[in-house]
Amino acid sequence: MKTQRYLQRLFIHGVLLVGGVAMMYPLLFALAVSFMTEAEYSQVSWLPLPRHLYLGNYFQLFAGAGNIWLWAFNTLFRIAWYIIVPGATSILGGYVFARLRFRGRNLVFIFLLSALLLPGIVFQVPSYVMLARWPLAGGNNLIGLGGSGFINEWPALLIPGLVNSYYIFFFRQSFYAIPIDYEEAARVDGATTFQILRLIYLPMLGPAIAVMVIFQSVALWNDYVWPWIAVGGNPNVWPVALGFQQIMASSYKVPGVGIANYPFLLTVAMVASMPPVLLFLFLQRYFVEGVQGFGIKG
Amino acid sequence: MTRFSSGKRRVNSPLPSGSSQWHYSREHTRTAWIILTPILIYYIIFAIFPVLANTYLSFMKWNGITGLPVWNGLDNYVRYFYPPYPQIILNTFIFALTTMFIQVILGFGMALLLNQKVRGLGFYRSMWYIPTITSTAIMAQMVSIFISPYGGVVNNVLSNMGMPIVIWQTSPFWMRLIIILFSLWRGVGGTMVLFLAGLQGIHPELYDAAKVDGANGWQQLRYLTIPLLKPTTLFIIVTNIIGGFQIFEAVQLISKGGPFNQTNVMLLQIYSDAFTNSDFGTASSGATIMALLLLGASIVMIRLMSQEDAK
Repeated sequence: MKTQRYLQRLFIHGVLLVGGVAMMYPLLFALAVSFMTEAEYSQVSWLPLPRHLYLGNYFQLFAGAGNIWLWAFNTLFRIAWYIIVPGATSILGGYVFARLRFRGRNLVFIFLLSALLLPGIVFQVPSYVMLARWPLAGGNNLIGLGGSGFINEWPALLIPGLVNSYYIFFFRQSFYAIPIDYEEAARVDGATTFQILRLIYLPMLGPAIAVMVIFQSVALWNDYVWPWIAVGGNPNVWPVALGFQQIMASSYKVPGVGIANYPFLLTVAMVASMPPVLLFLFLQRYFVEGVQGFGIKG
Repeated sequence: MTRFSSGKRRVNSPLPSGSSQWHYSREHTRTAWIILTPILIYYIIFAIFPVLANTYLSFMKWNGITGLPVWNGLDNYVRYFYPPYPQIILNTFIFALTTMFIQVILGFGMALLLNQKVRGLGFYRSMWYIPTITSTAIMAQMVSIFISPYGGVVNNVLSNMGMPIVIWQTSPFWMRLIIILFSLWRGVGGTMVLFLAGLQGIHPELYDAAKVDGANGWQQLRYLTIPLLKPTTLFIIVTNIIGGFQIFEAVQLISKGGPFNQTNVMLLQIYSDAFTNSDFGTASSGATIMALLLLGASIVMIRLMSQEDAK
């Protein structure tokens, strides 16, 4: 009985470990190759062990291949923007739907959630058109023709997505987890709604806000499709995912001229992936709670 | 819910059960609309208007740049019945359904193992979840470097081990397999974490009771775990199908839809209709078809699951 139990444990750990290593293999392989010279890479086997830690690829990248520092700054700016503005609208919206009683509340709530039923593509093509044909922007005339509007400009990266139905729902759920007594006590003392939100709810929503900050940071660090559509032609406003992908794609496209420097390209991939992975390793609890919060409660 | 308990419900429950006993406060109404007005204006401009514009454009012919849209009847929709569009819709279905099936089975299996109170839970979970939080675009581009024909990682390893190299890009079989494996690799961690949460939510006393009744491990799984996880499973299947249908970066960056449209998918075609072919009418009709397919799929899934419940 005891041996059977022991064998069972061994089996479970074996499967989890083999599966886990298989999942990590492509990333670990790329990480190992990123420490290789091209000569070393041409001899690589399925188990890539760099003979010494060659850092040349990393130096080459950090010395400013492409515009990596500018792209990193652009991305951090967008992360801050997309935490502060949608954070504010979602917390306020969540409060309204969780705590206030007024006619039509459920109707408005369903109206706001209805966007979640549709795939993003239904919004993206017309949003592109709308930004491109924005009146009096980027050379456009009064009816929005003649120029390129906000396309390839910063506003195209900052205007969409400021009201986020997911997070309104998420914060509504978070408000339900807080007893209403605090608010009632503060009302008796004469506090206004905005004082209550700022002084009572904001601190108590801490964990929910942390989940939102983390998920928005990862989502925007990895954001590729919309920037590719909206600002693909202007490298000065690119975020990291688009810029790094473009470095990898452009060097890869010229095999006739000479084989691309693959260890360098994999270094680019590793540097682009590192921040979300590190964030996850340090804050695993919030990730798991967040995924489960969106899933099960939602 | 009776009105006696309504005082307690106010704390935790969102919905009034009947408006007759519901008290609307003028103060609340004012605050609510002060907050909601700007939110709703923004939402109407950037969510409702685009959906209406998309529907409108799907009946128009327009290059998106010069002039104004011209009425085009149903032509944009009719086009979806002629090559290459049926193939593209079929490919999208194949990718979404294959990935969903394998992901649900694999994710559930791994969650079951992780739920056996194993030591090192966080360590194993990390290894499965890390691919999920990397950027799809960067990882897809990395895969296309892996399978680059000459000097790419896989062929390099193959030739160093004395094996013949493979030109993956010309084979529909390999390109499909690679795209499915890539989607699985990026998605299975999230599915596993959701199943694990569902499993951890099952009360351990239920298993104790089942053991007392003499149920073995398999019977516990069949008659206790799986029925109790039905809402979780439904959620996972629906979100996986919705996500799987919207596969894009993997195809764009790994196979570019090739060879000969054998891996082309709806989103890639919609984007190339709009931004490469400057045909916003066809692109919009594609987006509408996609939305209808996804709504249909979710409704069918929810119906199927609730019919089983009724049995």
